[in-house]
Amino acid sequence: MLEVKQVEAGYGKIQILNGMTLTAKENHLTLLIGPNGAGKSTLLKTIYGFLKPGKGSIVYQGKEITGISPHELAGLGIGFLLQRVSVFPELTIEENLKMGAWSFKQNRSRVYQRIEYMYDKFPILKQKSQEKAGLMSGGQKRLLEIARTLMPNPKLILVDEPSAGLSPKVTKEVYRVLHDLKQEGITLLMVDQNIRDSIGYSDYVYVLERGQVTSESTAADIEQNLQQVVESWLKF
Amino acid sequence: MEALSSLLAQLTNGLIVGSIYGLMALGLTVIFGVLKIVNFSHGEFYMLGAYISYLISQTLGLHPVLGVLLAVLATFLLGMLIERVLLTPLYDNKVERKDEYALLITFGLSLFLINFALAVFGPFQKSAPALAKGTIDLGVITVSSGKVLAALVAIALLLGMLYIIHKTWLGTALRAISQDRDASAIMGINAERLGSIAFGLGTCMAGAAGALLGPVFLVYPVMGGVPAIKSFVIIVLGSMGSIKGAIYGALLVGIVESLGVVLISPAYRDVYSFLILILILLVRPKGLFGGAQWHN
Repeated sequence: MLEVKQVEAGYGKIQILNGMTLTAKENHLTLLIGPNGAGKSTLLKTIYGFLKPGKGSIVYQGKEITGISPHELAGLGIGFLLQRVSVFPELTIEENLKMGAWSFKQNRSRVYQRIEYMYDKFPILKQKSQEKAGLMSGGQKRLLEIARTLMPNPKLILVDEPSAGLSPKVTKEVYRVLHDLKQEGITLLMVDQNIRDSIGYSDYVYVLERGQVTSESTAADIEQNLQQVVESWLKF
Repeated sequence: MEALSSLLAQLTNGLIVGSIYGLMALGLTVIFGVLKIVNFSHGEFYMLGAYISYLISQTLGLHPVLGVLLAVLATFLLGMLIERVLLTPLYDNKVERKDEYALLITFGLSLFLINFALAVFGPFQKSAPALAKGTIDLGVITVSSGKVLAALVAIALLLGMLYIIHKTWLGTALRAISQDRDASAIMGINAERLGSIAFGLGTCMAGAAGALLGPVFLVYPVMGGVPAIKSFVIIVLGSMGSIKGAIYGALLVGIVESLGVVLISPAYRDVYSFLILILILLVRPKGLFGGAQWHN
């Protein structure tokens, strides 16, 4: 589905990714873990075109997408759930969902059909549809972000720290929703610090350190050695 | 009785001029909201709007209202073009200090446009034909029909702009960009392309204000200086980026100016808006609608 080959990228002169290579298989939840500064979020930003890679290539469904602008990727069926709160706070919930439909806005009937679908899936959004998104709770904002990302029916979603800043109860709900997405056939590439909770939902895990992949295995395998893996990060 | 009618006349005047300042300030707000830059050449688009409308009605003999509408269209297209040519370096990371870049570019553009007008139109003041002839008798006061029509056109343009911002996909996307640029990119919104539309919309509102006030004041190359400063005052006292602030701030400035003229002295006409600015910032440092986003 998505292949990242020998990618190098960073901010200005500071290089964060040093030849990163990994693959997100179709219909899998691929989890990226690693200590702070390993380049997990930087990788997602680079895949989505927010950072231009200096070297390497990114291929999505056989098509080279290296260096493509973020706004072009939505139309290709790639979504991105940012780590920080990213709802449009002064737009209503309905307007937020409409913005999710920007790439197919000409097809009005489909836009409203998708909005209704999201209201069915997340009833809280229907209740508050005319309220400003900024007034919702943290968990509700996260659900709105997910619903907004799902509007164009993406095939692949990059997920950056889905549980950041959320209560344990809401976190569980978010993981459940993400798990459902995978069941529906959506491929997920996820970064998460909350390893113990997220690994159970994952299929394949890459361990990143200092901008490179240091190990990879199925989730089941790594779950057994998790203690060792995490301890190794502390021996710098 | 005479004092009362003169007060009412000035108040009406204030509302008329205020609604036109509102257009100009709203234009500045739209540009600031989407592009996050202050357009220091705003007054020169006001001047261009006035010249374009003047030339259309004077040389082509078209009705002045048509002149205003064509001036709006021309300043819209010109704004978009200038944004494409001069401001695109703001989007890729070629420019390190974006605020300073935008400041220098728009300030330079302002000087260029003034000197361009001097060279092409000459330094002399021209008086543009009123939008309509005659006066309207409102009992206690009479107002010139031209001014009333100018205010009505200004209000129609303001309402049209508010409709675009609040009710259309374009406007919703512009608000989305102003609130979260990265998130709007993820939605597939091309902020760069919409940025030039936003700049065009902003400059055409300045152009409209100039075309509407041209007949009230005079048309000359540096006519945009004072209105530009006033629109900066308006958006600061109404809170940078607030749409409500731009409109209410403009009406407030228009009214205070006119009342100051009657109650204190016409000599200090351009000082009153600054007094109001200082007083409001003393009480509300973030402006009238402090903390609000630009689309409110």
